[in-house]
Amino acid sequence: MLKKRIIFTLLYDGGSFILSRNFRLQRVGSLDWLKRNYVFSRITLAIDELIVLDVSKGERNRGAFAECLAALTEECFIPIAAGGGVRSAEDAGRLFASGADKIVVNTALFTLPEEVRKIVSLYGGQAVIASLDAKRSGEVYEIRTENGERLVDGSLAESVRMALSLGVGEIYLYSIDRDGTGQGLDMEMLDFLPPDMPVPLILTGGVGKSPHFLEGLRDSRVDAVATANLFNFVCDGLCRAREELLAEGVDLPCWDGETTESLRNLFKGAN
Amino acid sequence: MGGRRVFVVDYGMGNMRSVLNAFRYLGCEAEATDDPLVVASAPCLVLPGVGSFRKAMETIRSKHLDRAILESVLERGTCLLGICLGMQLLFDFGTEDGGAEGLGLLGGVVERFPAEKMNGLKIPHVGFDSVDFSRREGLFEEMPEDAVFYFVHSYRASPIESGDCSEGICVYGEPFLAAVQRENICGAQFHPEKSQSNGLLLLRNFLRMSERC
Repeated sequence: MLKKRIIFTLLYDGGSFILSRNFRLQRVGSLDWLKRNYVFSRITLAIDELIVLDVSKGERNRGAFAECLAALTEECFIPIAAGGGVRSAEDAGRLFASGADKIVVNTALFTLPEEVRKIVSLYGGQAVIASLDAKRSGEVYEIRTENGERLVDGSLAESVRMALSLGVGEIYLYSIDRDGTGQGLDMEMLDFLPPDMPVPLILTGGVGKSPHFLEGLRDSRVDAVATANLFNFVCDGLCRAREELLAEGVDLPCWDGETTESLRNLFKGAN
Repeated sequence: MGGRRVFVVDYGMGNMRSVLNAFRYLGCEAEATDDPLVVASAPCLVLPGVGSFRKAMETIRSKHLDRAILESVLERGTCLLGICLGMQLLFDFGTEDGGAEGLGLLGGVVERFPAEKMNGLKIPHVGFDSVDFSRREGLFEEMPEDAVFYFVHSYRASPIESGDCSEGICVYGEPFLAAVQRENICGAQFHPEKSQSNGLLLLRNFLRMSERC
């Protein structure tokens, strides 16, 4: 049986990591700051996957983002997905070369579907995550791209089917309304998905405390829950949330952080 | 300074960086190489890889790495760890992409998950899944109960069920070979470099084994 997953999403903006609240971004700090204040390796011990997204507005410095990604992956022994502004197989290739196992595509799904197909054919569908930003509008959900600014034609289900037709291996479904509120996941959104989703679903937006993870992961339609909120999970916050979820019987992998720590540099000086 | 030297065979297929990172975390001096002379005399070898079996074997043969690996493993007794596609290449034959002969260090054929036995399970098998170990020694020393590892694959080898092999078995539709050790020949269908404490323990065990080789 495949396990469920807890995912942490790091948002990167021009050299700094940030928090998002309904796409209004707040600067938090640099990679050094992150490592100093959040003992980054401790965070990675409490999660099953890391997603790093470049949400810089305007001109992106793709080389700097790739370097930052490579530095992040040095002591991170879980799958890593990266994205933000991926428009071509070349963009994807740069992120794979910097340590990404998967690529996240968003706007390109709608504007450059052939490029997404190309990435899928080069690296396999399992290495491509389609990120969809959904916003409640009356009785339905609409999909938006370009940091929430552009409205996409059609329903949430239609957008999901379109992404699946390109061969993507996972759907990352994000609630614009709940983002940064810490008020819990938008579980109603799940009723608007196509039934019998053929690929795993990652649900995100609104996780503020561990019961929110529980609500998401208990739903059979949800394979993983992601949070991007650094402040809600300072220090041991994520570790404690994970322990509570395991105690509640959620089928997550068991990781042993002490073992990981004890193995550091074990063979240093050995010949 | 310094540390245990590990050579990771680089034939242009797969995430070299994360494999090197994991060995460096353990304090090793890990290097990528595609030089058959280095491979033939390496103290310890890792064969990673993601992609097609046939393409991988073609590349390995064209770079004369196949003979170097066999010389190192069979004549010098070097410990070898194949990861993901790298484990599949240890077998006699792989049916992927029209089929090709492998390195032949382990007997058996690597085939696609049989769709008719999957009961609606998706192929590829992607994610964290549990592995049961037949013996907790050598490569599998101190492996926890219900140890979970990260998998991404559509092809797999079947359990060998031979007395001279230690095996890790995962059930996905039916049991398949998730990890194996026969003397100095080791393989992991999963990614130890993506499996937190469990994966690092397996790499530690591999390095300890290679001390004794």
